[in-house]
Amino acid sequence: MRLLTPLVLFLLIPTMASAHFGAIIPSDDMVGPEDARTLTLEVKFIHPMEGHTMEMARPKRFGVLHNGRKKDLDDTLVSSKRSEEERTVWISEFKLRRPGDYTFFVEPVPYWEPAEDLFIVHYGKVCVNALGLEQGWDEPVGLETEIVPLTRPYGLWTGNLFSGQVLLKGKPLPFAEIEIEYLNGSSADGQPIPTPDGPLVSQVIKADSNGVFHYAMPKSGWWGFSALSEADWTIHRNGVDKHVEIGAVYWVHTIDIP
Amino acid sequence: MITYRITVPGILLLLLLLPGLAVGHKVNLFAYAEAGRIYVEGYFPDGRSVSNGKVKVFDSADQLLLEGKTDPDGLFNFPIPKTKDLSIVLDAGMGHKTTFTLKKSEIKPER
Repeated sequence: MRLLTPLVLFLLIPTMASAHFGAIIPSDDMVGPEDARTLTLEVKFIHPMEGHTMEMARPKRFGVLHNGRKKDLDDTLVSSKRSEEERTVWISEFKLRRPGDYTFFVEPVPYWEPAEDLFIVHYGKVCVNALGLEQGWDEPVGLETEIVPLTRPYGLWTGNLFSGQVLLKGKPLPFAEIEIEYLNGSSADGQPIPTPDGPLVSQVIKADSNGVFHYAMPKSGWWGFSALSEADWTIHRNGVDKHVEIGAVYWVHTIDIP
Repeated sequence: MITYRITVPGILLLLLLLPGLAVGHKVNLFAYAEAGRIYVEGYFPDGRSVSNGKVKVFDSADQLLLEGKTDPDGLFNFPIPKTKDLSIVLDAGMGHKTTFTLKKSEIKPER
């Protein structure tokens, strides 16, 4: 009974509006001449607003697009346990050797989500600018689905509008639904906000007929944008073909005007 | 005696003749060491090169070691003058000036 109670309780929790987000969070989104040129990137699977981390298997692919070339960074990933929840996240140390934009991307292995009876694959991206050369951020990586920014995705003030285009297999995804979450505790002072209720956890917007969306970020810190689609492929599990949710996820950072 | 009259159209013409001054664009500088030389690149945020920019190289004691100019591709290179922290200044004129510090460890990477 003692064991059962939490389980029953868990099942009784009404469909929590917490969205899953694949994430790549770098230690900095703009690296200047006086900054350390080694970035630390955290690759993880989270509920950003509620501060939960899910177990993440070693990603299938992790890399960076710089100056039109993709580089495989799988070897740089080291697993780490999140202290509070003992879940696996992946850490990469990367040295920025040249000026320009670095778009990091990840393709995780499918994550089985029993509550939704499907697998989840979130293709995550984030862009870091090095040494003032603002070139490359608007280039697609070529993932199965991805968000391509229409706003330069770094050097953003709090309140700025972020615009992007959702692509599925390289083509704009009309009327894509985008969930947006704030990475709680990522503001300059590191103070988390109290977890809000219901619809406030995830903002939801829809793209226009060209897959283009806009959102103004109301607080400093990291913001995740996630456009979900259903894959045209399935995964066999216990004799049944299960659907796969594929997500195009993009992260941007904002700072308050001093 | 010859006198020059400065006219408004004259000033406008002069302005047009000035080499592509990207007013409002920050000048950037990147430098790295490779095979005994230091390579310097001057560029604007959109990737255009800073050509004909004055380059001055100082050591950590602010002693001027050498100077030169960037070529049309924004490039300049020179033999490593000292294996010390170097401060490289690029002056593109009109207040477009930037400094890049090349650390000793990057000049001679410890492996």
